[in-house]
Amino acid sequence: MTTHAAAAPDAIQIRQLVKRFGDFTAVRNVDISVPAGSFLVLVGPSGCGKSTLLRMLAGLEAPTSGSIAFGGRTISSGEGGVIADAGARDAGLVFQSYALWPHMTVAGNIAWPLKVARWPKEKREQRIDEVLAFLGIGALRERYPAEISGGQQQRVAIARTIAPKPSILLFDEPLSNLDAKLRIEMRSELMRIHRATGATSVYVTHDQVEAMTMATHVAVLNNGRVEQFGSPIDLLRHPRTTFVASFLGTPPANLLPVKRNADMLTFGDVPLAPAGIAGAQTEVQLLYRAQDIAVGALNGKPKLVAKFAEAAPIAGQTMVTAMVGDLRITAMADGYFTASPGETVDLTFIRTPDAVFTAAGERIDQ
Amino acid sequence: MTLSTSFPSSGRFVRSRHAMPAILLAVVALLVVAPLLRILWATLTPEGLDAWVAVLASPLSQNLWWRPLVDTLLLGLGVCLGCLLLGGFLAWLVVLTDLPGRNLIGTLSSLPFMIPSFAGALAWGTLFRNDRLGGAPGYFQAQGIAIPDWLAWGLVPTLIVLVAHYFSLAYTIIAAALSSVGADLVEAGQMAGARRSRILFGIVLPVVTPALVAGASLTFAGAVSNFAAPALLGLPVRMHTLSTRLFGMIDTGQTERGFVLALLLIGVSATLLFFSDRLVSGRKAFTTVTGKGGRTKRFPLGIWRWPLFALAAAIGVMTSIVPVLVLAASSLAPQSGALFSNWTLYFWIGEGGGEIAQGQAGLFRNPVLIDALWTTLRLGVVVAMTTMVLGLALAYTIVRNKGTLLANALSQLAFLPLLVPSIAFAAAYIALFGAPIGPLPSLYGTFALLVLAATAHNLPYAVQAGRSVLGQISTDIEESARLTGAGFLRCMAVIIVPLAIRGLLAGAILVFVKMVRDLSLVVLLFTATSPVLSMVAYRYASEGFMQFANAITLLILAICLVASFLAHVLQHRVQKWKQS
Repeated sequence: MTTHAAAAPDAIQIRQLVKRFGDFTAVRNVDISVPAGSFLVLVGPSGCGKSTLLRMLAGLEAPTSGSIAFGGRTISSGEGGVIADAGARDAGLVFQSYALWPHMTVAGNIAWPLKVARWPKEKREQRIDEVLAFLGIGALRERYPAEISGGQQQRVAIARTIAPKPSILLFDEPLSNLDAKLRIEMRSELMRIHRATGATSVYVTHDQVEAMTMATHVAVLNNGRVEQFGSPIDLLRHPRTTFVASFLGTPPANLLPVKRNADMLTFGDVPLAPAGIAGAQTEVQLLYRAQDIAVGALNGKPKLVAKFAEAAPIAGQTMVTAMVGDLRITAMADGYFTASPGETVDLTFIRTPDAVFTAAGERIDQ
Repeated sequence: MTLSTSFPSSGRFVRSRHAMPAILLAVVALLVVAPLLRILWATLTPEGLDAWVAVLASPLSQNLWWRPLVDTLLLGLGVCLGCLLLGGFLAWLVVLTDLPGRNLIGTLSSLPFMIPSFAGALAWGTLFRNDRLGGAPGYFQAQGIAIPDWLAWGLVPTLIVLVAHYFSLAYTIIAAALSSVGADLVEAGQMAGARRSRILFGIVLPVVTPALVAGASLTFAGAVSNFAAPALLGLPVRMHTLSTRLFGMIDTGQTERGFVLALLLIGVSATLLFFSDRLVSGRKAFTTVTGKGGRTKRFPLGIWRWPLFALAAAIGVMTSIVPVLVLAASSLAPQSGALFSNWTLYFWIGEGGGEIAQGQAGLFRNPVLIDALWTTLRLGVVVAMTTMVLGLALAYTIVRNKGTLLANALSQLAFLPLLVPSIAFAAAYIALFGAPIGPLPSLYGTFALLVLAATAHNLPYAVQAGRSVLGQISTDIEESARLTGAGFLRCMAVIIVPLAIRGLLAGAILVFVKMVRDLSLVVLLFTATSPVLSMVAYRYASEGFMQFANAITLLILAICLVASFLAHVLQHRVQKWKQS
């Protein structure tokens, strides 16, 4: 936590947050703080507790224990429950389903929260025009949600959320219902909105690419715990656990289980790296990026014989996936490469491993 | 690609695809359109025109048209309002709050619609009947509690009985709509800072408006066309609705005047349904756009949980369980005023010839009743089958020819009977088949006529059931079967029917139950010599043999219950792959 006595309080401060549903613990002891204007992405596989965490931030769920403070003001805690109501925490939520009210026009949807907040009519109309123009959907003003496309509904949902100028924006997997092309377009659109509003954003997704491209801060969640919290580059460069290492990055990183064998670490009977990097451990996992493994033999470098599975061309190179027993290994080949499934290919480890982990998945610092 | 040449049966398929719609169009025209045109035509003859004048512009019209119209509209509006309030309140409790025992309340609230409305009317009479008309007094009067006329007879009891019957229809419709309001919509309102009441009136209610309108119009139409309740509770004090007036006219041989009243009744009911449909269709017919469906937001009731539960449970018990208990007790009590003393099985199995019931034999020893029982069952089964076969064929043709003129015409025609109250529909059938047509003999009073009329009148439900069944079977499934080279009929028998059977059975049993407990359609079409159970019950009730009427009504209820239970069991037996 980074609270110095003189500095302004963090925009969002989550302390020891726990949420239990009966016997099931959805969120375990989460500790996260971000300064104003950050873009925090909560990323993890489904069921990791990221949506529950977001709903607690929104005030739709009360924490079991721990606390949440916005700008130094405690708004939810285990003792006090939901202290500030959903509407009273100066936060807006964009739902995964968009949750547009089907009986109101686009303008009506945007106007309603402003009406509830007792904005005078003139200011309201002005603000509606403003956000409609900002999101480029002025032409849809009088349409009903059922009459516009999914991408347009998404824009309306965002317009509705930012209209009351909340200082915190919450997004619950907002892009998951869009097709691939629209998703990329909306990604940059969301970043533009984030910059323009200056609001602190919290964004939930299971897509690590979204996390990597949009976030200033990323929290990787697994089983209700924060596996690692930091900047995207930091997480990518220094993953603390194998879960983070294998969850982030495109193409996915390779983890090879190896054993100490005299002064080398060997995979099967192929020596890969000097045993020194494993510290006192006898069995460890080595992390190799796809670009650290080449296709084809190279003198003096360790190699594995694998069965070709698939190839995908990426930016002038080819991402090659091959199987060694049950282990999937991703390597990069220069230019275009192809082979028949099942065909034998050589995979050469051209660099030293990027990181070393214990068998249980914890990083061993060098 | 020469797909068609490699599948020899495709030619046959194409031909049957064109022949079927034409046959169906003819059948529907004969069943639905012809009777309506005929009854209109019958009122345009010289006698018919006289009848128009008599009904609308003569000294008689006060009694024939205006008073019944006012009573009918009062009933319609009162029932509609009462049902929306009661049904809406219960639906809100069950779907959107943390009321304890929600399943119990939900079941209790949907039960009354299963009980025929004449059961409610009979139970009311058993309890509240006073001595104004002579004969045995009801339970309360016999206990020394004076029941005023307005509570014993006429508009007020009719209104109460109909609300107690139809509110569960409103409940079902509104509850379904409320449970489709996703939690997200409510939470989005919470995020905007709106208070609970504001969310209810600003978001939840507007979203379910179509269901409210549908519930209102269906209960209104139901009350307007109901025959049993006003006949049993209103006729003894000369309160007439359009449906009892129309029955009276045809029953006393003033057929043309009856036809005119039938047309007017259709007009009243259809106008309302038409406008309510216009209100909800079109642009404002919003479908909820949701991703995470199924989750609903429940509001905490706090200290009101148990008081509201008690209230809701009381409503449910009073409208579904109490009437049945009253009928049961009455069928066992020799004196209708003393419901709970000297119980005997005489009215069920007595041999007759004694002091009680003017020496008539008990229910199961009376050959007329045994006959009526078989006729009723036969009618229910035959109509259920004819209706579902026709309904499935129509639904199939409409779905597969979607967008064509033919499909539109078929679906419009098939839904036409929905606008026509059943007693008026029966009158139209009398107009068409009451006299010989060419070489064909008159069908009046025959079983066949009732099957035709009932099939036609149930068509909207059958087509709806067929459509929802077919909606679950994608075109892909059928096409993948056809690509194997199977012909149309084989596809139907091997693929469509097995997949559809569950929905078909459910629909067929619904139709069966509707027929077994129906009174307003059969009361005009059947003659006294070969009656169905509901008619016998009605006749006993109007002659003052309350115990017999109540016993027969219980029998009808039992049949309906057994049928529903069978449907439940069969559904699980027939489609094993859906068991979990």
